[in-house]
Amino acid sequence: MKNLLQKSLRQLTRFASVLFALSIPSYFLVVDWIWLKELDENNQLIAQRIEYEFNKHPMTDEKLTENIRFWNQIQPVSKIIPLSRPMIKDSLYSVRRLNPYTGDERDRFRVLKTSININNRYYALVVETNVEETEETVGYITAVTLLFFFLLVAGFWILNRRLSVKLWQPFRNTLQQVKDFQLNKQTPITFDETDTTEFAELNTALDRLVRHSIAAYKSQKEFTENASHELQTPLAILKNKLDILLQTDDLTERQYRIAEEMNKALVRSARINRNLLLLAKIENKQFEGATLLHVDTLLHQSMETLYEHFNEKQLIVCHEIQAEVEVNGDSGLTEVMINNLLINAIRYTPPAGKIHIRLSTTKLVVTNSGTQTLDPDRLYKRFSKAATTNNGSGLGLSLVQEICKFQGWTVAYRFENNEHLFSITF
Amino acid sequence: MKVLIIEDEQELAKGIVEYLSEENYLCEVAATFAEAMGKIELFNYDCILLDITLPDGNGLQILETLKQENKQDGVIIISAKDSLDDKIRGLQIGADDYLTKPFHLSELTARIYSLIRRRQFDNSNKVRQDELEIDLLAKSVAVNGTAIALTKKEFGLLIYFIGNKNRVLSKSNLAEHLSGDFADMLDNHDFVYAHVKNLKKKLTDAGCGPYLKTVYGTGYKWEG
Repeated sequence: MKNLLQKSLRQLTRFASVLFALSIPSYFLVVDWIWLKELDENNQLIAQRIEYEFNKHPMTDEKLTENIRFWNQIQPVSKIIPLSRPMIKDSLYSVRRLNPYTGDERDRFRVLKTSININNRYYALVVETNVEETEETVGYITAVTLLFFFLLVAGFWILNRRLSVKLWQPFRNTLQQVKDFQLNKQTPITFDETDTTEFAELNTALDRLVRHSIAAYKSQKEFTENASHELQTPLAILKNKLDILLQTDDLTERQYRIAEEMNKALVRSARINRNLLLLAKIENKQFEGATLLHVDTLLHQSMETLYEHFNEKQLIVCHEIQAEVEVNGDSGLTEVMINNLLINAIRYTPPAGKIHIRLSTTKLVVTNSGTQTLDPDRLYKRFSKAATTNNGSGLGLSLVQEICKFQGWTVAYRFENNEHLFSITF
Repeated sequence: MKVLIIEDEQELAKGIVEYLSEENYLCEVAATFAEAMGKIELFNYDCILLDITLPDGNGLQILETLKQENKQDGVIIISAKDSLDDKIRGLQIGADDYLTKPFHLSELTARIYSLIRRRQFDNSNKVRQDELEIDLLAKSVAVNGTAIALTKKEFGLLIYFIGNKNRVLSKSNLAEHLSGDFADMLDNHDFVYAHVKNLKKKLTDAGCGPYLKTVYGTGYKWEG
């Protein structure tokens, strides 16, 4: 992940590099064009001056011919060649050849070939001027361009860093506040004032969102609690009426059985209801009684209560429980967690199966025999049950997970060697 | 024996009254906080059933008033709130017992039975039925003067039966009484049968009469 400024800096750098790359040939073409134009003008001036100076001193044709030969010897860069008639057009061109004065170096020359008139005779004048080589010009331009390119990128980088600190400060503040926000604390965020339109808009939108979430959370929380709470009373009435029904003198055995089934269903609804209430309370963090508790004692208590149920199903129970295992947590919740784990093991172990309970200072592991692995995605989901035949509330493992989460513990499930393994790490 | 039922839910109060009246309890109902306060000021009760959430006040306040005025009425809180805090607070203030809704009327009757007898100081916290004698405080049982050893669960069952004399107690009801919260989570309620069988055998072996009868195939009734 890269931050926003790095991303924009990258785009800017790319754009700048393309632009600078394009600028190198453009500069070169422009510079070269100016060069040649100036040199052509210069050559023209030299030609005019030569023509003028020759005509200024009157001399005989013989003398002139001799002077021109001499001139051509000492001035090979402006050769005068006799013509029978004037050229129709001047010509301008560049040549590359060895420079006789600098050794074996090939230089570029700009040439003007024009006709001049001396003593009413026609001559061709070839003026040559040394021009800088193309590759040298390109090299210098590239070097300068690169220098400026690096200066520009460095400038961007420094500016960006400064801007990122200053301009984005309100954004960073908002972000931190949103990060620190906890829905269950129910306190809305007060955002800092900012004079940047975008950030002000962001803060307004976030503020609305947060307030809405708080309201929705509150009403949901109240709903779960109220619904579960309100259900307790009709359930209690039903249960009591059934008790009264059971005492009727002329009750038949069939009617008794129906009443018994109804009672079982009622007990189950009451448990689902109570578990939902408990889940809501855990989610609302309504438990603050974390104390130092002895998990081994709680575990022994729970095993003692369930002892007859182990026997009933002829389950083989092995346990390795370390003494004096102390952890921080809510004792009520921890008890619910242990009971749910053990009862789950009892329910899902086939008769005469094995249950293994291990407790160390850092871990509680409950293993029980089984036939196939459980779907880890649905394991802790509310109301998703492994079997349709039993009448569990479908909330047992959700509760275990929520309790672990609440107390900062982790629960893990594995299936190996035909055994389900649940481990709680404190 | 006088029982005051402080409960705003009419149907619930009616059911409790109906069930308790058969046990020769004299029942009065108070549906509001104000009504309840009026009654406890004027009369004394052997037992008060107290719902914490009342439309016009908190039941715990009634409990506080009772304790401030040094009243000796036994109090059982019946609450829809299954919260440990409320339970602990209620018991700290001085309630004798705490029952969470929904509950079986037989459970309530057994609790009232034990509560009233535990609070009597004229040696009547001993229960007698012919050759059977139960000491509620010492938690001991004797038949014809010979003590018999019962497990904690068997003793609890016996008290439950005695507290619900001549009542039909279904298997699921006993399962709830024995394993409390877990009853519905266990698919099999046969453990009830095992406990009842053991209790029956110990009583019969000691020479106790066949008071505990099986009804409707899986239910039980203590006759006396």
